[in-house]
Amino acid sequence: MEHVINTQNLSFEYHAEEQTRHLVLKDINLQFEKGQFIGIIGHNGSGKSTLAKHFNALLLPTEGKVYVKGMDTKDTNHLWDIRQAAGLVFQNPDNQIVAAIVEEDVAFGPENLGIPPDEIRERVEYALKAVGMWEYKDYPPHMLSGGQKQRVAIAGIIAMKPECIILDEPTAMLDPIGRREVISTIKKLNKEDGITVILITHFMEEVVDADRVIVMDDGKVVLDGTPKEVFKEVTLLKKIGLSVPQVTELAHQLKREGFDVPLDILTVEEMVEFLCR
Amino acid sequence: MFRNITIGQYIPGDSVVHKLDPRIKIIITFIFIVATFLINKLSGYLFAVFYLYLIITISKIPFSYILKGLRPVIIILLLTVSLNMFFTPGGTILYTLGPLKITTTGLRLAVFMGLRLIFLIIGTSLLTLTTSPISLTDGIEHILKPFSRIGVPAHELAMMMTIALRFIPTLIEEAEKIMKAQMARGADFESGNIVKRAKGLVPLLVPLFISAFRRADELAVAMESRCYRGGQNRTRMKQLKIQPRDYQALAVTLIMVLLIVWNRVWTW
Repeated sequence: MEHVINTQNLSFEYHAEEQTRHLVLKDINLQFEKGQFIGIIGHNGSGKSTLAKHFNALLLPTEGKVYVKGMDTKDTNHLWDIRQAAGLVFQNPDNQIVAAIVEEDVAFGPENLGIPPDEIRERVEYALKAVGMWEYKDYPPHMLSGGQKQRVAIAGIIAMKPECIILDEPTAMLDPIGRREVISTIKKLNKEDGITVILITHFMEEVVDADRVIVMDDGKVVLDGTPKEVFKEVTLLKKIGLSVPQVTELAHQLKREGFDVPLDILTVEEMVEFLCR
Repeated sequence: MFRNITIGQYIPGDSVVHKLDPRIKIIITFIFIVATFLINKLSGYLFAVFYLYLIITISKIPFSYILKGLRPVIIILLLTVSLNMFFTPGGTILYTLGPLKITTTGLRLAVFMGLRLIFLIIGTSLLTLTTSPISLTDGIEHILKPFSRIGVPAHELAMMMTIALRFIPTLIEEAEKIMKAQMARGADFESGNIVKRAKGLVPLLVPLFISAFRRADELAVAMESRCYRGGQNRTRMKQLKIQPRDYQALAVTLIMVLLIVWNRVWTW
C-alpha cells in the first residue's frame, strides 16, 4: 500500500554560519498510513517543526528522500500537488490568515489551485461546516477568538481537499477553551472525514487518543508506537524532558509504592475503571 | 486610543448605490470627475449638484459624513481659491489691496477651481463611503487586469491591499499591547511637546516593526504552503457580475455628462 508520507534516511542540516553545521534531523525513516491519527511529540529544538516543513516541501532534505503520496518532494514538477496533498497548519493563527473575511480566507487555497468558482463555494461551505465555523463566514478574522481563528486556518487547508493535515503545535498559543475546540475539531476530521492527521505538540494529553505516537529528541526518533506503548516509558520520557499524562504518572508512582497497577493507563476514565474493579 | 480608527470610511448599507458593481462605481466616479472639469458655466453645476443629490438621497448617507470628508482638505481649498483669485491677470480690476488685485477673470477662475475641488472630493468620498474596502480592492484588480499585459501588477497590488486590510486591526491591537507594556514600565506617551512625544514613540515603533516583519515572514510561508504562486492560473470565488442596475446607473451618469456638454456648447 502506498503511504501518505514516507521518509527515507531523511537528514537535514542547517547552516547557521559559514563553518558550523547543525544537524537538525538525523536519519529519519517514517511511514504514515492513510487515515491514521499520528502524534509527534518532543520538546523545543527536537526537530519536530523542521520535520513538519519537510512533509510539504517547504524544506528539502539535505540527505535522503521524502515522498508524499509517492511523489518526491525534490521534484519541482510535483511541488503544488504535494502542497495540496499535505496541508500545513501553523502555530500562530494570526499569521496564516490572508484575507479580511473568513470565507474569502478559506477560499484562498482553492483559488490558488485554479478551481472553478462554483466548486470553490461548495468547498468553502463544506470546510467551514466541518470545523463548525459556518455561521462566522462573513466575520473579519480579528473579531474571532484564538481557537476560532485556528479553526478557520484548518478550514482553509481542508478546502484544498488534502490527503493529510499536518498541524505544527496548533494549540500552543491558545487558551484552554480554544485548545479543546481545536483538538476536538481535529479528532472529528480524522474520524468522520477520514483525513490523515499528523499532530505535532508538546501537550501529552492531546495525543492520548492517537493511533500512533512518535517521540523525537535531538533530531532523532526515540520512541514510536501506540500511546500505551510510548507512555509506559516514563523514565525515558522524563530523561528527555517530556512529561507524561498525569494519570500515567500516578499509575507509575502507585506501582513504585508496590501496588499492582498496569502502567499503560492514559486517561482518568481508564484509571477509574481499574480502581473500581 | 486606537479603537476608533476605521479603515477607509465605509458606511455599511443596502441601498442600490451600495450594491452597484465596484468596477462600475469606480468608472462612474472617473466620469463624474472629468465631467465636473468640463463645466464652464455656473449653470452647469446645477446638473452636477442634482446628480450628487440623487446619489446621496438614494444611498441614505447622512449629509454630515460628506461634509466631514471636506474638512481635511479645507486648507488646500482655501489656498487654491486665494491663489487663483489674487494672481490671475486680465479682466477688469474689482478691488485692490496693496500689491494684490482681484480681477473679474481671477474671481471667476477661483470660484470654478474651488467648486471643482469640492465636487471632486464629494464624488470620491461617495465612492469610499458606499463601497467596502474589500470590494473596492476587487474592483481595482478587475479594472487593472487588462493592463497587466503592459506590466501593471494588478493582482499583486490587490493582494497587497487585501493583506494590509487584514493586518491593520491586528497591528493596531499589537500597538496597544506594546504601549501598555511600555507604560507599565514608566514610558510616557502623552505629555511634553511634539519633539518629546515623537521621541516617546520610538519604543513603540521599534518592537511593532520587528513584529510586523516577523508576521510577514510567517505569512509568506503559510501562503506558499497553501499553494500561492502569484496571480497566474488563479481563480476567484467571488465573481463580479454586471447587473441591470449597473447599466441604469451608467446611463444616468451619461445623461448628466450629456447635459453638461450641452450646457457648455449651446447655452451661455
